[in-house]
Amino acid sequence: MDRLAPAERRARIRAQRATAQEKFLLFRVGEELYGLGLRGLREVLLPEGLTPLPSPPYRVCAALEHRGHRLPVIHMRVLFEVSPTGSPPTARVILTEGEGRPLGLLVDEVREMIDVDPTRLGTVPALATLLPSACFRGLVTRQDRIILLMNEDGLGRLDEVVQFYATGT
Amino acid sequence: MARVKTVTPGVTLDEVSILMFLVAGKQLAVELSRVQHVLDFQIPTRTPRRPPFVEGIIQYKGRYLPIVSLRKRLGVEGPGPGNPAFLLLAGVGADPIVGVVVDQVVRMVSVPPDKLLAPPPRVFGIRAEFIRGVVNVGGRPLVWLDETTVLASTEPITLIT
Repeated sequence: MDRLAPAERRARIRAQRATAQEKFLLFRVGEELYGLGLRGLREVLLPEGLTPLPSPPYRVCAALEHRGHRLPVIHMRVLFEVSPTGSPPTARVILTEGEGRPLGLLVDEVREMIDVDPTRLGTVPALATLLPSACFRGLVTRQDRIILLMNEDGLGRLDEVVQFYATGT
Repeated sequence: MARVKTVTPGVTLDEVSILMFLVAGKQLAVELSRVQHVLDFQIPTRTPRRPPFVEGIIQYKGRYLPIVSLRKRLGVEGPGPGNPAFLLLAGVGADPIVGVVVDQVVRMVSVPPDKLLAPPPRVFGIRAEFIRGVVNVGGRPLVWLDETTVLASTEPITLIT
């Protein structure tokens, strides 16, 4: 085994720790903060060109025409049952990828980026939400604030998103 | 069931220890051995699309705990007191520990088995299936709730206040 100088060893440990971190984009819905991994992130857009979809069957999804494609956008206030369901002026559409397909999330505000060690995420309690557990990666605390990290693939498996792509709505 | 061997001169009794608290002025209790801790109130982080009686989550000793409002679970309308308490209960559902908000913690009560009464069909409007027993404390009924059934069931409960 190589003998490393202390400074070099520390640098190597720092580098290993740095690679273990994953970046999450924070966004606000209502008064709480949520995070979305950068892995599938494509763009952040102004919420323009959103078209409502027939209800029923659609309740949380709208359609967005973007660069010649029509893609589903989940209205996160509606999905999370945060009232009122209107969007503030700071609202944005986060364009990501769920289950390998484009997916938009309409959120109240896009905030900063944070680094998270994905091996140290807290578990979302079963009693805490009626949403499928697959929608969440886990929990993390930053500056005494609990942040729910979303799973874009779990969101991409929500019935309305699956139906959107199945029917080509 | 939490049983404490109490020895008095010449007599040995199996006593049940329960923690008494108030919700909307009613004397209620849970099994003391379920209570991991009692905390001062803190504002929970609201979780998305939560059951109507769930307030959100808190972090406690590195774990994230769901917080249930017992007032809401028991159908009590209107705001509670300004400084309610959290009971951290273990072994009452899918989550290892659940925080339950009550109006006020009163005291521990040791109940001799012969003083613990089977519940009638309803006490304070709470159906017998949600009750483990009733005790007379200070001339008033104290209802020992079945913590697991109250938290696991989604059937409405209406506490008569």
